[in-house]
Amino acid sequence: MKTFAGRLIMGGIASVLLQVAQAGAWTLEEAAKPYSGATVRVVGEALPPLEALAKLAPQFEQATGIDVEVEMYEHSEAVNKVQLDLNSRRGRYDVIIQPHRELGKFATNGHLLDLAGFMNDAALRDPTFKPEEQLYEKPWKEISWYDGKMYGFPFTVLNLFMWYRTDLLSDPKEMEGFKAKYGYDLAPAQNWDQYRDIAEWFYRPDQGLYGTALQAKRHEALWYEWLNFLYSFGGDVLDVKSGSECGPVIVNSPQAVAALDYYKSLLAYSPPDSLNYFWDDVMALMQQGKVAELIMWNDATYAVAVDETASTVVGKVGFDITPQGEGGKVGQIEGWSYLVPTYSKNQQAAFLFMQWMMGYDRQLEQHLNGGATGRPDVYAAAEVQKLPYSNASMAAHEAGRPKATLPQSSEMTDILVRELSSSLTGEKSSKAALDTAATEISKLLGSCAPMSYPAL
Amino acid sequence: MTASTRGTLLLDRGVGPLLVLPATLLVVVFLVGPFYYMMYTALTDLSFADASRNGNFVGLDNFRKLMRDDPLFWDSFLLTLRFVVLAVSIEFVLGFALAFLIFRFVARQRLLTTLLLIPMMIAPVAVGLIWRLLLQGDFGMVTYYMRKVGLLSQNAAVLSSPDLVFPAIVAIDVWQWTPFVTLVMLAGLMSLPRSPIEAAMMDGAGPVRVFLDVMLPLLKPIIALVLLLRGIDAFKEFDKVFIMTGGGPGTLTELVSIYAYRVNFRNWDLGYGAAVAFMVYLVVLILCSIFYKAIYWSANRPAPLGGHG
Repeated sequence: MKTFAGRLIMGGIASVLLQVAQAGAWTLEEAAKPYSGATVRVVGEALPPLEALAKLAPQFEQATGIDVEVEMYEHSEAVNKVQLDLNSRRGRYDVIIQPHRELGKFATNGHLLDLAGFMNDAALRDPTFKPEEQLYEKPWKEISWYDGKMYGFPFTVLNLFMWYRTDLLSDPKEMEGFKAKYGYDLAPAQNWDQYRDIAEWFYRPDQGLYGTALQAKRHEALWYEWLNFLYSFGGDVLDVKSGSECGPVIVNSPQAVAALDYYKSLLAYSPPDSLNYFWDDVMALMQQGKVAELIMWNDATYAVAVDETASTVVGKVGFDITPQGEGGKVGQIEGWSYLVPTYSKNQQAAFLFMQWMMGYDRQLEQHLNGGATGRPDVYAAAEVQKLPYSNASMAAHEAGRPKATLPQSSEMTDILVRELSSSLTGEKSSKAALDTAATEISKLLGSCAPMSYPAL
Repeated sequence: MTASTRGTLLLDRGVGPLLVLPATLLVVVFLVGPFYYMMYTALTDLSFADASRNGNFVGLDNFRKLMRDDPLFWDSFLLTLRFVVLAVSIEFVLGFALAFLIFRFVARQRLLTTLLLIPMMIAPVAVGLIWRLLLQGDFGMVTYYMRKVGLLSQNAAVLSSPDLVFPAIVAIDVWQWTPFVTLVMLAGLMSLPRSPIEAAMMDGAGPVRVFLDVMLPLLKPIIALVLLLRGIDAFKEFDKVFIMTGGGPGTLTELVSIYAYRVNFRNWDLGYGAAVAFMVYLVVLILCSIFYKAIYWSANRPAPLGGHG
């Protein structure tokens, strides 16, 4: 008995040691050996994070003998190319970097590889790669998971938050005038009333200054921006707990109507061409110092707040989470993920490359070059903390709300964008526009999505 | 045996049809085939978004939805008709007038016609980008000067204004395509026979009479051609408008091609999208044939180009 127990213990120790030894023994070079000579073709949006990836890739190529080819396209081109490739089942791409709204469509059509198999494969999985500990869980599960299955890792975790001009808001003259008019101190807005007061106060088109700048073009940008208002006012599109769930349509709730009415009221303090502006335009205005405050993307921060060659307001921009409404401090969350198509002929090599890119050093490098990492430890790095927008971005990651990633979500977006835009031109009232949107979305999703608020 | 007799013999042996084969194959593969495939797709529920709709045959369901249950399609369709009528008629009047002026008063036409070609030579995507920049509300050059001379108020912008955006896309189309009309009409004017005009003048007709009763009837086939080409082209307009406005604000510039793009490549609803495309094709075909016949048979007999009407 004693010897048996002894053997058992010894055996246990031996197996632990073996595992440790194996863990210690895992190297990228070893793991990649069977795939040496393969080519991993990556496709994504032509923006600084992908350019950073392309610059890092030669290190991976050197270590593994696996070639990496990167194809970069403009946003919708990058999405359409992938959609066509997936439907043709050619398997041209091994790693597709795609926005989260496409995920449900790809996953339910069987285009994406469930990564659980590779994560459990000791030969492929780097034992030091622990995404469940190393990534922001909420954004990761939101943008890279569908229906409880893990399909990828975050390439960029994106959110919108409030940007404001610190030089204007701390100018003693402005502070004095503002207090005299509104009866409270001028400071970064904490709620939407303050946000509108500040926009109104600084609206001086004759001096080339606008209170705010809305991204109100008939474009996805409008939808992304308005969702922040919607959530903050206590509304939502569907009454569900996760992006892959279908449920009652509530996009015409009183809260949603209030959110749209409020959003519309900001048009008065926004540039005259706002109905034709999207993210690029408002970023340019901000770079030129023409806007006092706005709600804007974290991946545009670098070009405005840090890059002196492109911006006139470096050092003059402050960042904070979106102002608070009835729905609390919340914001929409978005991101692009690394995904592997089921038709890829180099799936293992693709996984190794993704895993390698998720490593701390690469993430730090990418983040500092205009990326938007999904790793909190990268945000904690001293060089990242120095960036003026890091804290706001971290807070927004935590406050992110899920949104629909259903197969029909791009059509839902299209419906909402059209109706929001119609309401902004004055063709329709907020209520009428949202009623139409709710009716169409309910019809699109079918019996799982009844309307909670009947259309008038 | 000479080479030419050998050739004749080969043709006699039925080689002729073989020579047409490559061209026929190309037409079948790239035009006829896809067209029939589109017609077939329009009878299915094929969608790249919804996994359950993988191309099941649904008969005429898509067309039923299109006819009865899709006000957006009809709105965009009517908007497109308005766009075509407005743009093409302005282009025609301006283009013809310009051609007439050049024909009558400009001796050295070569430089002028080369200059006229410029807007036409620019890719439509580039035209869209250029005008989006020119009309941009804060940095746009055209916006700046329009405000300066009081054509636009300080707090308005062309592409964001519900009243101005549609006239603006018409105007930009006119800017791009009037030269085409000018060029073709100029060619038509230059090829007119002298004798009927001189005969009319001998009979004492004034310039207006000569223009209305002699030149215009002679130009009819060319006019029909220009209007037809421009009409079809304007009906298909997509690139410029999509880049400038994306169909917005609201649905104020959502032409039918933009609508079809959304159904097909945003929503990936290919079955229904094919029905939309087929409908557009059908309407263009009908309009063209009516129009073509109207022009040709309005004056009992067609006036052949260069004939002695």
